[in-house]
Amino acid sequence: MSGSAFFEVDDLHVHFASRAKLFRETPPPVKAVNGISFSIEPGKTFGLVGESGSGKSTVARAILQLVDVHAGTIRLDGDDVTNVPRPKELAFRKKVQAVLQDPFSSLNQVHQTRRIIGDGITRHFKIKPGPEREQRIINLLDEVGMSTEFLDRYPYEMSGGQRQRVSIARALAVEPELIIADEATSALDVSIQSQVINVLQRVQAETGVAFLFIGHDLEVVKHVSDDVGVMYLGYLVEQGDADAIYEGPTHPYTEMLVASIPMPNPIMQASRRELRQSFNNDAEPPSPARMPPGCPFENRCPVALDICREEMPEPSPAHHGGQVRCHLHTSGPELGGESVVEFIKTEARGQVAV
Amino acid sequence: MTATTSVAQSPRRRFWGRMFKNPLGIFSMIWFVILLIAWVWPELLATHDPLQQDVTLQRLFEGPSRDHWLGTDQLGRDWYSRVIFGAGYAFRSILIAMTIAVVVGVPLGLFSGWRGGRVDRAIMWVNDVLFSLPIILLAMAVIIILTPSLDNAMIGVGIAMSTRFTRLTRAVTLQEKEELYVDSARITGLSTRTILARYIAPNLLSSLIVQAAIISGAIILIGATLSFLGIGASLDDPDWGVMLNRSRELFRVEGVWQVVPPGMALILTVLSFNLLGDAIRDAIGRDSSNNALSITKRTAVTAATTPHATGPDVVLSVRDMDVEFPDQSGRVSQILQGVSLEVRAGETLGVVGESGSGKSMTMLSALGLTPAPGRMTRGSVQFGGRDVTNLTESEWQAIRGKDVGVIFQEPIAVLNPAIKVGRQIAEPLMIHQNLSKKAALQRAGELLAEVRVPDPVRRLDQYPHEFSGGMAQRAGIAMALACEPKLLIADEPSTALDVTVQGQILDLMAEVQERHKMAIILITHDLGVIAEAADRVLVMYGGQVVETASADDIFFRPKHPYSRALLDTMPQSHDGHGELPVIRGMVPSATAWPQGCRFAPRCDFVTDACTNDMPALETIGGDLVRCVRHGEIQLVPEEEMQA
Repeated sequence: MSGSAFFEVDDLHVHFASRAKLFRETPPPVKAVNGISFSIEPGKTFGLVGESGSGKSTVARAILQLVDVHAGTIRLDGDDVTNVPRPKELAFRKKVQAVLQDPFSSLNQVHQTRRIIGDGITRHFKIKPGPEREQRIINLLDEVGMSTEFLDRYPYEMSGGQRQRVSIARALAVEPELIIADEATSALDVSIQSQVINVLQRVQAETGVAFLFIGHDLEVVKHVSDDVGVMYLGYLVEQGDADAIYEGPTHPYTEMLVASIPMPNPIMQASRRELRQSFNNDAEPPSPARMPPGCPFENRCPVALDICREEMPEPSPAHHGGQVRCHLHTSGPELGGESVVEFIKTEARGQVAV
Repeated sequence: MTATTSVAQSPRRRFWGRMFKNPLGIFSMIWFVILLIAWVWPELLATHDPLQQDVTLQRLFEGPSRDHWLGTDQLGRDWYSRVIFGAGYAFRSILIAMTIAVVVGVPLGLFSGWRGGRVDRAIMWVNDVLFSLPIILLAMAVIIILTPSLDNAMIGVGIAMSTRFTRLTRAVTLQEKEELYVDSARITGLSTRTILARYIAPNLLSSLIVQAAIISGAIILIGATLSFLGIGASLDDPDWGVMLNRSRELFRVEGVWQVVPPGMALILTVLSFNLLGDAIRDAIGRDSSNNALSITKRTAVTAATTPHATGPDVVLSVRDMDVEFPDQSGRVSQILQGVSLEVRAGETLGVVGESGSGKSMTMLSALGLTPAPGRMTRGSVQFGGRDVTNLTESEWQAIRGKDVGVIFQEPIAVLNPAIKVGRQIAEPLMIHQNLSKKAALQRAGELLAEVRVPDPVRRLDQYPHEFSGGMAQRAGIAMALACEPKLLIADEPSTALDVTVQGQILDLMAEVQERHKMAIILITHDLGVIAEAADRVLVMYGGQVVETASADDIFFRPKHPYSRALLDTMPQSHDGHGELPVIRGMVPSATAWPQGCRFAPRCDFVTDACTNDMPALETIGGDLVRCVRHGEIQLVPEEEMQA
């Protein structure tokens, strides 16, 4: 990775130590994030997609200094912001903000909108409550499409979509360079989700803020992102241009993810179902506490090779210009630079061995 | 899925509303106010000077009279006035002890809980040692160091009581600091002091108030005990404990009455503090009426006017169903209005709509499970050709357990965490099919195998927490299938699951339907799931059916603007990265349905006609649509029409 990117995560590892037990050997730490690297350009959106347990939220929490980084570096504007020391924390918070998943618990129930948005303004711009701060809050509300009548509302007096808009306004209040949206729209109805996504995109166009957009819905993540990374059990298994990956996934897991998104169209869905069923072997992902030595997707993979059971593949260039971590692309049969999709379709049922 | 129907009410108003509904709460509040007046302005209530002696012999040990309402004591002093003035001593004790307890205990608990780790363990160790010492011992220790007085004793009591506040504060802090709103505050960059003082402390307030009320009672009791033992208030003070002590010395000679005035004052005060604490806790508590699963008593139901679907394969038929909910103020909102549906054997009916559209409520009410205080006021339900509208709960139970299986959104939540999965599947078999325990467990193993849970026999012996979300949902399906139901209701069966597992569950449902030829009602907000699994679709909005049609028609030839809008907002329907189509505004609340068509305020095709009258549910071909403009508006783009 080049060292000049605006925001850069390099070989990030986050481990959670297991609790020591009396009279028993302490179990090994749970490796929630394993060597993740990606970068974000100013004003762009990097999407991180994965299912529960993939470690995508842990990546967000590590960047936000809410969990300790075990190894690796996070850089912002060239500065190392891995485990930021206390005196530098305020300056870091000014640059990186977040919109968290649950609109019900991410806002303090005892504060009104004015306070929720205004606290950050007072903290970072030293503007005490008064007309100037009020005007800023009103401008922020306007930016997320809310009127001044919401100033005096408590969170319980607002709908999920409105609460998430307030969360966005709160993040924007400190004029950050990067906003981490961790499952920011997942809890919302589809129609409301679209409204909030539009707000996020409009905000980006107007302020030039960069986004790290984390979600489990590849369709949504693809829509908002320039680049995406696909996570599976702590590993970034594929990354690159959002549309290119969606159209031509090169990792079998990404392909499975695309095939699993139900299309609101019975005819298209019928063919997706067929592709999806070519993957289906009812296997469960391994437990993060007992990871296999090889690729963690091996037991669900329709095209697993012998080597996949033994070692984790390293990232290699993918045809879409990004990277993929899959032995199929380094030790596997010749793919002729083609997407793995066709290969899986034709060869999957025979369980190729090389 | 929950049907949130009541408009948000300010917690403060709700709190006082509940306090005044609770008779014990009212009693304790009244007593509290009297005590408060007695403390602040005793002359207002007292009839005599509490120290004024009337030593004329016949005035000693008097019973209640017009002059002395509660009689007189051994020095001829007025009992009533002494008891009134005693309130001041009680409150002074509370004030001293409570101030120390809160000022020491709360910050310590906040600090300890927030810091965690070794500091926390050290603080809690000291705290637990202090906690285990008798309170009176601590009070005596302080008296020995300082001088004997009630005030000094209360310093000791305050220190002892601070351990209660430390524990409580720490427990709440530990819990609150994991909340997302605390993360948000940290991300905003707020200082730890601000987060503790302005974010966590306010959320602590309610538990503290409850604790303080109950501890106040204890403080009064301890103060009285100390005075009774002669190490609290001085002998002539009108303190309840002192009075009680003096009376005790004399009551063998002069009768029981002498103990009654101070004793009653003490009992009533301590009791009212405890009741006040309970009342506050109940008033603060979560609105339990919202998630109560109690079922409404059956009441008269107006008959449906539309005839039922007929045929041997009709499993469930609902006609013209209205369901009403009274809110706290007694106003009635109509949650469901005129809902009709039917589902046939081997068919999957998809029910789709946003949260609050009434999807789940429709299913609950159709199965006689309308949650209290809601009730079905109109309509008719047939199950397997039999009219079940007015069945009693026990008659319903016989049908539901055997002929209806239900799959829920959160499979883990449905399974009892303390009981092995095998037994949970076997139980209904033992009840409804009279199988022995052994046979039922064997059948449970077969069922797990049928839903393709690997290693089913070993799995029978596991507890729910050992199942992943996908496996738990398979177990949920196995339970639903246990008695070979005619109807399977799946309420968002795959929403809580990972998308790669979702497909497996949908495939499994299709597979068991094929094998058992059951009818499935699939409730979901995801049109992708509908496209995958549904044969026919029912679109709901605002507690009404707005359109029913075959799955193909809903997707390719929608007739209602809401169906079209739902499709358009799916990100899947949209290539590129531009603005997504939205449905403006939000789902209306059942307490304030819009005039006319309920979708009109959000509809792109709205005209005056839409907002005047509620459109009727019209039959077109075999399909239903509730839109006055359905014939004239073009919902399918030209290019798609040709394709």
